[in-house]
Parts: sequence; structure tokens; C-alpha cells
Amino acid sequence: MQLSEMRARYSRRDFLRMGGFSIAGISLPQLLAASPGRSDMSCLVYFHTGGLCQHDSFDPKPDAPREVRGGFGTIPTTVPGVRFSELLPRSAANFKRLSVIRSMFSLEAIHEKAKQYAFSGQRPNNAYKHPVYGSVVAREFGTRNGLPPFVVIPKKDICAEAGFLGSAYDPFIAGDPSKEKYSVQDLTLPTGLGLEEARGRARLLSALDARLEAVEKSGVVGSMDHFYQKALDLVSSPEAKRAFDIGSEPDKVRDAYGRTTGGQGALLARRLIEAGVRLVTLFHGGYDTHSDNDKTNKKLYPEFDQSFNALLEDLDARGLLDSTLVLAIGEFGRTPEINHSAGRDHWPSVFSIAVAGAGVPGGQVIGSSDAMGAEPTERPISIEDLGATIYSKLGIDTHTQYHALGRPIRINDGGEPIPELFA
Amino acid sequence: MRFRKGSRAQICRTAATVAASTSIYYACSVRLARFGICICAAVPAWSAPAAVLIQPSDITLQSPGESQRIVLSGGSGCETSSTDPRVATVEGNRVVAHAPGQARIDVRCADGSAVTTVQVGNRRSAMGVGFERDLLSILTTKGCNSSACHGSPAGQNGFRLSLYGSDPRFDYDMIVNQHAGRRISAESPEDSLLLAKPSFAIAHGGGQLMTPASDEYATILEWLRQGTPYGAGGTRLERLEIHPGEQVLTGAGQRQPVVVVGRLSDGSTRDLTAEVRYAVKDEAVVTLEDDWTVTAKAPGMTTVMARAMGKAAAAQFIVVEESPSRGLRFPDPANFIDEHVFDKLRDVGVEPFPLSDDRTFLRRVYLDTVGVLPTAGEAEAFLASDRPDKRSALVDRLLDSEEYSTQWLVKFEDWFRNSQYYSQGRTNGSFKRWLHDSIREDWPYDEMVRAMLTAEGDTTVRPAGNFWHPAIDFMLKKFEVEKAVPTITRLFLGQRLECAQCHNHPLENLTQDDFYGLAAFLARTRVKHGYGQYRRIWYDDRRGEIEHPVTKQSVKPRFLGGEQPAIPAGTSRREVLADWITRTEQTQFARATVNRVWYEYFQRGIVEPFDDFRSTNRATHPALLDDLARYFIDSGFRFKALHRLILNSKTYQLAAHVPGRPGGERPLEDALFARYLPRKLPAEVLLDAISRVTGVAEEFNNYPAGTSPKELIASIGATHFLTTFGHPRRDIMEARSNAPSLAQALQMMNGDVLAGRMEAEGFVLDTLLRQGLSDGAIIDTLYGRAFSRTPEAAEREALEAYLAAESAAGRDRRQGLANMLWAILNTKEFQMNL
Repeated sequence: MQLSEMRARYSRRDFLRMGGFSIAGISLPQLLAASPGRSDMSCLVYFHTGGLCQHDSFDPKPDAPREVRGGFGTIPTTVPGVRFSELLPRSAANFKRLSVIRSMFSLEAIHEKAKQYAFSGQRPNNAYKHPVYGSVVAREFGTRNGLPPFVVIPKKDICAEAGFLGSAYDPFIAGDPSKEKYSVQDLTLPTGLGLEEARGRARLLSALDARLEAVEKSGVVGSMDHFYQKALDLVSSPEAKRAFDIGSEPDKVRDAYGRTTGGQGALLARRLIEAGVRLVTLFHGGYDTHSDNDKTNKKLYPEFDQSFNALLEDLDARGLLDSTLVLAIGEFGRTPEINHSAGRDHWPSVFSIAVAGAGVPGGQVIGSSDAMGAEPTERPISIEDLGATIYSKLGIDTHTQYHALGRPIRINDGGEPIPELFA
Repeated sequence: MRFRKGSRAQICRTAATVAASTSIYYACSVRLARFGICICAAVPAWSAPAAVLIQPSDITLQSPGESQRIVLSGGSGCETSSTDPRVATVEGNRVVAHAPGQARIDVRCADGSAVTTVQVGNRRSAMGVGFERDLLSILTTKGCNSSACHGSPAGQNGFRLSLYGSDPRFDYDMIVNQHAGRRISAESPEDSLLLAKPSFAIAHGGGQLMTPASDEYATILEWLRQGTPYGAGGTRLERLEIHPGEQVLTGAGQRQPVVVVGRLSDGSTRDLTAEVRYAVKDEAVVTLEDDWTVTAKAPGMTTVMARAMGKAAAAQFIVVEESPSRGLRFPDPANFIDEHVFDKLRDVGVEPFPLSDDRTFLRRVYLDTVGVLPTAGEAEAFLASDRPDKRSALVDRLLDSEEYSTQWLVKFEDWFRNSQYYSQGRTNGSFKRWLHDSIREDWPYDEMVRAMLTAEGDTTVRPAGNFWHPAIDFMLKKFEVEKAVPTITRLFLGQRLECAQCHNHPLENLTQDDFYGLAAFLARTRVKHGYGQYRRIWYDDRRGEIEHPVTKQSVKPRFLGGEQPAIPAGTSRREVLADWITRTEQTQFARATVNRVWYEYFQRGIVEPFDDFRSTNRATHPALLDDLARYFIDSGFRFKALHRLILNSKTYQLAAHVPGRPGGERPLEDALFARYLPRKLPAEVLLDAISRVTGVAEEFNNYPAGTSPKELIASIGATHFLTTFGHPRRDIMEARSNAPSLAQALQMMNGDVLAGRMEAEGFVLDTLLRQGLSDGAIIDTLYGRAFSRTPEAAEREALEAYLAAESAAGRDRRQGLANMLWAILNTKEFQMNL
């Protein structure tokens, strides 16, 4: 499948030069080196695993009955007439850096499917697994400054994978930087092994591999070589080491983000973007409040509020905000009516997201939901539209097609970039 | 190459072209052609001439004046004649009809003859184009009626269609009547909005979806010209054929005309060569010229596909290098597998790699069959034996071992997606045991499948029912028939029906009717949840039907292909389905299964992808596939017989590599099984191999020491290593990926899998050092464990030089040796099966 896709992209001559094909279908070193496109844009996805409650965040309903309104009050933002939940004071103050969409909707109500949908812009189906945004970005733009193009914090998630594009475009997993002794899994040499020693044994490995490489020319061999080289580069790269070394941040900065998974995750994400990673996804969990919604959110939402706004301010101060699309999204919203367990259940019909950076205008509310926060009333915006927006911002043609499983597959199924975000 | 009507010289050239392209050198006399005689002298090359063939083999033309192109192949010195020239004659490369009646076209060649029959009718009927059958499929395949476009509830710019054509009458009315019929123009059909928009003659928000040269455009235009009928009148195109179906071309520049025949619903044939759309899968191998001639470009294998009006046909073209070496050497065939594979290689002039040596075979067959490395003792015994049948004896011994059943258990779990997630971590263990027992006992596969398809009861005690678990909707706790249907067709029939859930397949005869016809067999299947979430009880309800999403009618159970079985009252529909799938006359079950097993050994199916049987996806060795299926059926659907056959074949035992003849350079060799295709070891096998070489077993929480990762019950996500090396989540139906990755390299370089073992109790080096072995002896031991061989001189030199350098750098002996072992375990040779 990757073969036909590559065929479409490279001429026969390129293809032969790239070393032909193999059981793995692809010869990676050359492919990555070919670096098919260029973009200076980056993307940072702050993901609310479980789904942000629209009522308790960007779309409060102070006039709704208590069982809908929930337990939290509202506060004014910097834009007259627009109010956020009292749980998000920093976002309210920072509204000039944000656009808020109050009329997002999804068509999936199960976590896995809805996440897969939100991360790929394509509704999941039984036939194949669509690559997520990060994988498409990795595929289109390749690496920058020797860092992996697509990084996920803190851990692997099946909803954030390359699908039919193949494992080469899967994310690099960064681990949880809020842990006391944080280090990236397998990124540092085993204790007691020096870099020179590691290089030495890698040279021996090449010498031993020579016997097979003399007689085996298929892509899988070249691709294993490529990853070993990349691994050694990463291990010996001061840039990579520095990017992941969150401990080198001043305490003041670490405190500003908050010493939480969200806070330190957002800080690591900023460091990675700064160092050259193209798309970072930060999973922030705990939003699946089937019971005790208020109790959970009272603690959780301020954690998000603090880290997210520290991130925006930090990116802005470092001049990175204009070249970084920042999204705060979840897979769906939460039910308008509070249930018997004082919780809110899955609600894909309408939910809110926040978008910033990359030329997105600030202080803007797009769309609206009804009085209960149950359905969009104006400008319903689909996941596909959001996908088209992300691709457009990053400089990827939304009509791009891949060929896999014997059929053409569009990276985006008819979404329209949201014009308000391009003002 | 252009054919002039009546040019006999041309036919002679055609014969010459065809002859050369079938790998036989001919010298043809064009001079004699004007006397109606075409004489070619065969110059035998390296293979015997194929049988003479004229295609299509039967022609039914509707009326005088029509003609049909023909393709001749395999003959030399051929003459053609008609038994009744008043009815039909051969002119150039065509059979031309002159009057109603019957005739036979005889081809007589020096080395054989062939015939084709011609029937000529007296009335030509138009092929009707209808909205429901033809237009709807275009709107759907082009995405016009998808939820993102006109299929959304609000439509798009005032033009609204039902989602995926679920309401054809509504769509028809919208296109033909609404908005004062502005979408179609009766006077000038070409100017209709229905054509101008998607072809972007007028700006269209959805972009350009078709060009005026496309098949879809032509179909819509024809429909407009016929007055926009709702149903299709006239005869229908039922099937397309492309000839030759299989062709070998020798050397770049070699040309071969193709002919496309349409089989119509009234039994007639129509020459559609000039009217279909062609696609060449790999234009680096062949291209198609404007005159419908395929031209060879470079060695390889590809297909040429022809499509028209929702039908498709494909031909396989193989291009081999010019003047291939003579006297190709082939091992003596061990069984029919070798005969088929070697015959094909002979046809294309590719020599197979030689047989693997004993050491290579030993390591390979251990890793493939039982998934573990041979011990030093096992290797010694095998290599020392001089029994002529020692390979087959080894195969027998391995197939009888417990490890064989564990090795295949993992594959079965992949196939049937056994997962702790589908069964809440409760019943996947009993399903695993059930699968394990059936493999160990070599239970007939048809019975096993039958047991799963008809499973009833509580899956904690009736494990076969776990087969259905992936089709449960977690949230709704409901059986989802839409998930089950494609699983069944893909697993047991090798057919992908997923697409047909939403739309008729654009190229195949797979329709929504097929999908829902099969779904109807499961319409009464139910699951209820017992105590606790995990307890699932499968049963059949007495009533329940499936509604067709388009017609909204309840659908009668219908097998693929259209047969509607009579189901007596009280009979479970699932039993009827299971009977149909596994009944022996229906060989597709056996074909799909042997192809799946073949894939496990050869890394590509005879049909590839191995679970994608389609008319447009040709088998490389159709007869081999048939014979394997027959063999599997005749052996009572028992896998061990099939394994034994494959493992004993010379094809399986071919070398992957020969000095001076790098593998992986010539695509044809890999595609036609001319060598053993090297592969990465699966995650579990690699981990076991690392444990065995290092002497340190992997420890899993709550499992006894020495447990193999293959035995884990909650295997998904069990360790970082397994996940990183491709142990699948089994959440979707896909073959597990064995692609290398950065995370794998980092893990082997820095992770605990090696670094941890080097510090652990029982580490091999500590044992060897305690025995007081020399560096040389340690190297030999490690090589024996890892590769079942001793190092070659150059390797030994590199290893010793490395150890010397380590020592010079001031590292102690153990550390130097540990680094060396790291390198050995990181070689591709160790991580692959060769």
C-alpha cells in the first residue's frame, strides 16, 4: 500500500534510486531524506481526554436550571458580553489570545471512536484506520533538527497512531514529565555505558551486519539501519537531550505551568516545539466525569486553565505563538443534564474548543449552542471542518489523497477550513 | 500497432508478436501472408510452447456488421478459417459478422489448433443506463452523497441528496424535477449542470470529480441521452473479460494487444476494447498505448485493469529480462507446490535460489514452526545426522511438539482477535485454551469454524462464542451485525465486504444487497449480559429481521452470489450460514484458508493481500491455490497436513540468499516465491529468542517463571517490549505489522530488554566466564545459540579486534564481552528469520 502511494509521488527513477521495495514496503532512510514538503508551522494539541464539559468551561449556561447549569458560576472575559465558567479565570483574562468555538459537534459517542475521529478528522470505520494529524504531518514534512516530527505526551494511545501509513509515522512517546525522576523511555544509554563505548559497539554491529547486507537488498534491512542511526543520533544529540530535559527549566517557569501532569506536559510540549518537533499531542486525562462532575472539575479545570494559559503566554513571549497552532480540544462534550451520580455523560451533539496561535484572531466566539448547551444553534462546525483548518494552517492541501488498501483515501473528507480563524 | 481491416499480413505479425511474448522465438513469413497463409517456424527457447489459444473462446454478436477483436496466442504457423464465411469471417484481428447464423473459427497451427464459436443474431439492442443502478453508484463512489457533501442534512448549495443514496426516489426527484429541472438539459445533455459541475466546466465547491473523458461522465451523458430513465431498460453489462488474462513479455519494448469483451444480460458479447477505461497498476512495468497495446517497460509483474459501467476485469502482465539465461536449474520438485511454483518460474525465465543449507533450514523451520531457537544439542544432532529424510523427520517432530501449538495459537488469536478488552479480561483466557486445544488436537478447521459461527451460551463455559465478542458494541452492550459480517467474510472467505456496507463496490459485483443478505443470517443473533459485565450469553431469538438501508424492506438471508436458501422453521440461520461457508463444494473457504496459511510462511499470499480475493486482484498461481484448497479439503481440513506439505516443499526450503545474487533486488523473485523471503521475528518469538540466548527469562507479573509471552492471557499491552515490537491490539482486522521503528531501535539500544538481562542472575556470560572459557570459545557458544552456526573468518576477526580494542580502552573483559553480545543480538540476522 505504501508502495503505490510512493509510486504516485516519485518517478520511477527516484524510486529505483531509493532502493526499491521490500516486504516492509518502504525504504525509510531515503524517504525521510527526500523530505517532500516544507513548513515552518508547528501544532500543539492539548487534549482533554474524556471531553471538556461545555457548561463548566467556555460555554456556561447561567440562566439554565440548576441540573443543567451545574455548580459553578460565571465570570466576565476581556470581551464584553462573553462569559466563561469561573473555573477558567486565566482563560477569561487571556481571551485576547484565543478563539472559542461553541458549536463543535461529533458523530461518535464512544471514547475510542470519538478520539480517533477528533485526532484524524475522519470518522472511524471498520475498513481501515486513518492516520492522525501528527502522522500526516510527519508524512508530509518529515523531521526537523533531528527530532521526531510527532510526539505524544505522556503515553501511547491507540487513538493517536499512523494507521495505514505505517509505523514509521507513529508518534514518539515522551513519557510523563511531571514524574519526579522523569526521563524519556529508552532515550538514555544504560547506566555505566559511555557514549564512545556505545558508538564502538554500534560499529561492531555494522561490521557484523555487513555479511547480510551484502546479499539482502530489501527495504526492511535499510529501514532497520535507518532507525538505529536515528536512535544513536537521538541518544547522542545534545539538542534532543536538552529538549527533553525539563529539569533545566527554572523553577519559576515550572511553577508557572503548575507541577501537574497538564502543567509539566504543556511545558515539555513547548520545549519540544521550540526544538523542532512539528506536532505535539498532550493527553490530559480525567474529564470523563460520569460521577461527581463538580468535585472532579473543581480541581481539574484550574489545572488546565493554569497550564494552558502559561503555555500561551510563554509561546507568545518567545515569539513562537505566530508559528504554532494551539488547540484545546476533547473528543466530545458532557451531557447538559447532570445524572443521578452527580455526573455528566458523553455528549457529542455540541461542545466547545479553544484555538490560538498561527494567526488565529483573539477575543472571538464562533458559533453558539442552545440555552441548555445541548445542540448548536449557529454555525455548527464539524470535526472535518476542524481537520481542514488544521491542515490549512500547517500548509497541507486538504485534498491530499493517499492510496492504501487498494483505494484512494482523502486525508480530509470534505471539511471546510473555518474562515473566522483565518482573519 | 494498428490493424487495417483485411490485412492478412497483419495477422501474421500479430501471431509473431504473440508468439514472442509467450517466450518462444518465432520466425514468421510475412511474404506468404497475402495468400492467406501465415507460416511461423518455432525456434524453441527454454520452455515448451504453450497450447494454442484463441480468445475470446465464444463470441455472440447481436447483429450483422458487428465485430469482435480476437487474440491468438501460443501457436506457430497458424491459419485461420471460418466454417461458414457467409456468417462470419476473420479480417485482420477481428471476427466480423455478416449474416445471422452460426460459424466456427478454426485456428490451425503447426503445433496445435484452437477454435472459437461465433453466433450472429439479427437485432442490436441498446444497453440501458438507469438511475437506480448506474447513476446512484457514481454519486456514491464520487462521494457526492456523503455526509460531508450533498448527503448532509442541509445539502450543499441547495442541492441535497440522501446519504449514500439511501433514498433513490428522493434523489431522482431532486435531480430530475426539483428547481424546475435546472440540473438537466434535455436539449443539450452535455450542458446539464449534473455534468458541468462535477467536471468543473462550471465552478463547483466540491472540486473536479470527473473529466469528460471518464467512464462516469460517459455513463451520465448516456443516461441523459436516454431520457433520464429511473430503471435501466435494455440489456445490461454483466461481466467484463480482458484477454489475454495472463501474459509474459520478454524485454522492454515487447508489445501485446489486449481485447476487452463485455458479456451482456441477453447472452451476447460486445467488443468493448475501445470503450472501457484502463488502468495499469504499475506503469514502471508496462504501459498501455492508445491503440490498446500493452508495451513492456521493465522487469516486474503488474495488472492491467479495464472498467466500464461498474464492472471490471484485470489481466496479469509479467515482464522478464531480454534473453534470459538458458539452462535454468531447478531442484527436483518435492510435491505439487514445487511443480506449480517452478513451472511459473520457468515460464518467466527466473531461476529459483538454491536450496538452503542444513543450518539455515534448521533455524528457519524452528522459528517458523515452533517459534523458538534450536538448542545447541538439537542443532548438533540434526547436523550430524546423515538420514536422507532428516528434514521431513524434523518437520514431523516439530509439528508434534507442544511449542507448535503455542506458536500457531498466537496467530489464531490474531486472526480471531482474542483480546482482554473484548471480554473484560475474563473469557479471553478460556477462548485461548479452546483455540490452543483445537490446534494441539488438529481439530478439523471446518468443524472449528462451525462451532464458532453457531456458538450459543455463556462464553465463560462455552468459549467458542468469544468469536463474536469483537462485534459487541461496548456502550450499548449490543451485538452489532455490521461489525460481524465483514469479519466473517474476511476471515473465512478472504473477501472484504466492508465497503459494501455503505455502497455497492465500485469495481466488484459486491453490493449492499450482498452485505445485508449475509447480515440477515445474523438478524436473530443476540447477546445478553449476565452477572457482572463480563458474562455474555449468546443465543438466537425466534424473530428479528434486518432492514435494507436503501429499500427499507426486511432482507431475506442470501449467500454471496445470490442464492437464497430455504430455511425450515426452527433451524438456526447461523447454522445455515456455517453450513454454506464450510461445505466442500464451496471451495472459497478452503482457498481463503490455505492462502492465509501460505501468507504466514511466505509473507505474501498467492492472492495478495491474503484476505482480499477479488476478480481484479489476481492470484499469482491460480492452479496452485486450487490444488492446495483441494488438498486441505481432502485432508479433512486439518492444518498439520497442510503445514507438512508446505514445510517439505523445496519452495519453502529455498535459500533466502546466495553470495553474488542479492535478494530483494528483483521484484519478480519475491513475487513468485523464487526465494525464502526474510522477515523480522514476531515480538513474542524475538523476546523468547533473547531469553534463550542470554539465559535470562522474561518475568511477567503473576505468571510462573519461564512463561513465554505467547502464553499470556492478557497479552495486549503486557510489556513495553511486546507493544513496541508489533504485538497488535487486535482492535481492527489487520495483519500484524512487522515494520521496524525508532522505538524498537531505542529499546534494543538502551532498554531493559538487554541492559537488564546483562545484570540479571543466570546471564549467559557469567556462566561461560565461570566455566573459564576463552574468548574464542565464548564467541563460538554465542554464535551457536544465536545463529546456529560458527562465525566466518571475517566475523571472527572483527569480533576479536573489537574485544582487543575494548580491552585497550580499559574496559574489563566481562563488559567487552557484554558489548559484543549486545552487537550480536542487535544484528539483523538475529532479529530476522532468513
